[in-house]
Amino acid sequence: MLRFTVRRLLLLVPILIGLSILVFLWIRALPGSPAESLLGERATAESIAQIREQYGLDDPLYVQYWRYVQTLAEGDLGTSISSRRPVTTEIKERFPATIELTLAAGLFALLFGIPLGFFAAKRYGGIFDNSSLVLSLIGVSIPIFFLGIILKWIFAVRLGWLPSIGRQDVLIEADHPTNFYVLDGIVTRNWEAAWDAVKHLILPAIALGSIPLALISRITRAAVLDVQNEDYVRTARAKGLPARTVDSRHVFRNAMLPISTVIGLQVGLLLSGAILTETVFAFPGIGTWIQASIENRDYPVLQGGILFVAVVVVVVNILVDLSYGLLNPRIRLAGR
Amino acid sequence: MSVAEIEAREVQMEVGTGDLWSEALHRLVRNPAAVVGALIVATFIVVAIFAPLLAPYSPLYQNLDLVADGCCPGPSRDYPLGVDDLGRDELSRIIYGARFSLLIGIVSVSVGLTFGLLLGSIAGYFRPLDSPIMRVMDVMLAIPGFLMAIGIAALLGPGLGSVMIAIGVINVPIFTRLMRGSILGQRDNDYVLAARAVGVPSRRILASHIIPNAISPVIVAGTLALATAIIDAAGLGFLGLGPQDPATPEWGTMLTDTVRYLQSAPFLAIFPGVAIVIVVMGFNLIGDGLREALDPKLRGRA
Repeated sequence: MLRFTVRRLLLLVPILIGLSILVFLWIRALPGSPAESLLGERATAESIAQIREQYGLDDPLYVQYWRYVQTLAEGDLGTSISSRRPVTTEIKERFPATIELTLAAGLFALLFGIPLGFFAAKRYGGIFDNSSLVLSLIGVSIPIFFLGIILKWIFAVRLGWLPSIGRQDVLIEADHPTNFYVLDGIVTRNWEAAWDAVKHLILPAIALGSIPLALISRITRAAVLDVQNEDYVRTARAKGLPARTVDSRHVFRNAMLPISTVIGLQVGLLLSGAILTETVFAFPGIGTWIQASIENRDYPVLQGGILFVAVVVVVVNILVDLSYGLLNPRIRLAGR
Repeated sequence: MSVAEIEAREVQMEVGTGDLWSEALHRLVRNPAAVVGALIVATFIVVAIFAPLLAPYSPLYQNLDLVADGCCPGPSRDYPLGVDDLGRDELSRIIYGARFSLLIGIVSVSVGLTFGLLLGSIAGYFRPLDSPIMRVMDVMLAIPGFLMAIGIAALLGPGLGSVMIAIGVINVPIFTRLMRGSILGQRDNDYVLAARAVGVPSRRILASHIIPNAISPVIVAGTLALATAIIDAAGLGFLGLGPQDPATPEWGTMLTDTVRYLQSAPFLAIFPGVAIVIVVMGFNLIGDGLREALDPKLRGRA
């Protein structure tokens, strides 16, 4: 297991190096040279030359790349043009909101997707199965921001059941020691604030979780159908185990293996989808921040945001990979 | 490759009976879901091509009298889907919008397909180049596709071209990986060995033996990629990276512009959204149908 873990962790290195090269080239390719954007309209030929010298813009590319990696290693992602604050500070403030939303969406997808797929497979070919297939087809065909708009229109605008924007009602006084609003409410025993934060999460989480929900229920259905015809399931039935025991011990457990890999793949989808969902619900996380940076052409924020989200996705995928090795001995042994 | 080309190819293949393609076509037309998908996509293509004949108004024509009392009057006899905040006919704009979705889908998937097939064939067939190409693709796949599309489109500036390039680029690693895997599966087959034994040059083996046999998973993925491309394009449009010119009524951009009126005129957001869902569903249905039809394991069951 140790060897397997080390091998997987080593895979991170080339990917992170490649990622930093891509982002570095992306910054270099941006329209307008950094010197001009620093000086604005007052730029003269001499002052540009001076800035180029000062920031080392005339150095060979690999020297500049090395300097870029060094600043990254120090945890410096630059300064936002629009707010004039360090990009890392803003990430620290905003990322908890996105984590909260992503977790809620993932939870929604798992809690509904797995049972949906399981019962669809159990009633293969029935009405429930067919309607779950149609639902999952709609789920993968609907743009999340459109689903978000529809949910917002029905449940917030028309029915007024749930709030339509933000993370917390402005009239509620609450302390935010961790910036995870639901957790904050629980920690400070401010139940009203916690419940309010949950209500703000429901619609965005459903919108964001819809595609993973559709995929997870499809995979679960296929996996259960597959496992159901395995010899060991037939043996378990033949020796007279109750149907419920066969389902939970043999069918469900083995069907979980393919499902667990799919769950890992959803993290990237959820985080990039969060950009659209947060925009629809004006949810102040990483997504609205990236969206605003597109509008303001705030390239340091865009660069930092993309790099940060990409690194999070890569790391989470490796962790999922490792847990998959724990779950499935066949994978672990094949890695030797 | 567009769906039309795929279909043309299958029709052409139908002549010789008993081969994979004609069998696949037979299975496809017996699959009701795939037929529905094909009808949706065919309608979509017809609407896109004949937009000027089908649309009751020009997408730019403004009837400002209608929005004088605020936004926006709903569906009426003259304007079946209502008018937007600038007094333009919603139906006509959706009809013209089909052109842009189709264009974005076809161009971006073709870009991804061309480079993906090229790189994937090289990586799969010429061993020394395999590792360098695939490591670059791994890095690209590590970044969530939509996030990378945002980065590329933001770099190039908002517009139809940047959306197409951005989505094309994120498709490259997907097709490269698929093609490479498919070719690796074919490379050690007996017919390749036979061709090599009689001295056929490797470029010709690749072009006329391996690629035609390795292509069917790529066709399936291409159809499904069209669906994703249309969704992603709408997403980029929604974030303000789509075409900024009012003459290009792209569906995603139409949604962004009208979200402000959700309270008074929800139909302005709902109609273009429904158009996206229907078209994407069509491509997904065909893709799933093709996957089943082209699966060699299911041969002879039709």
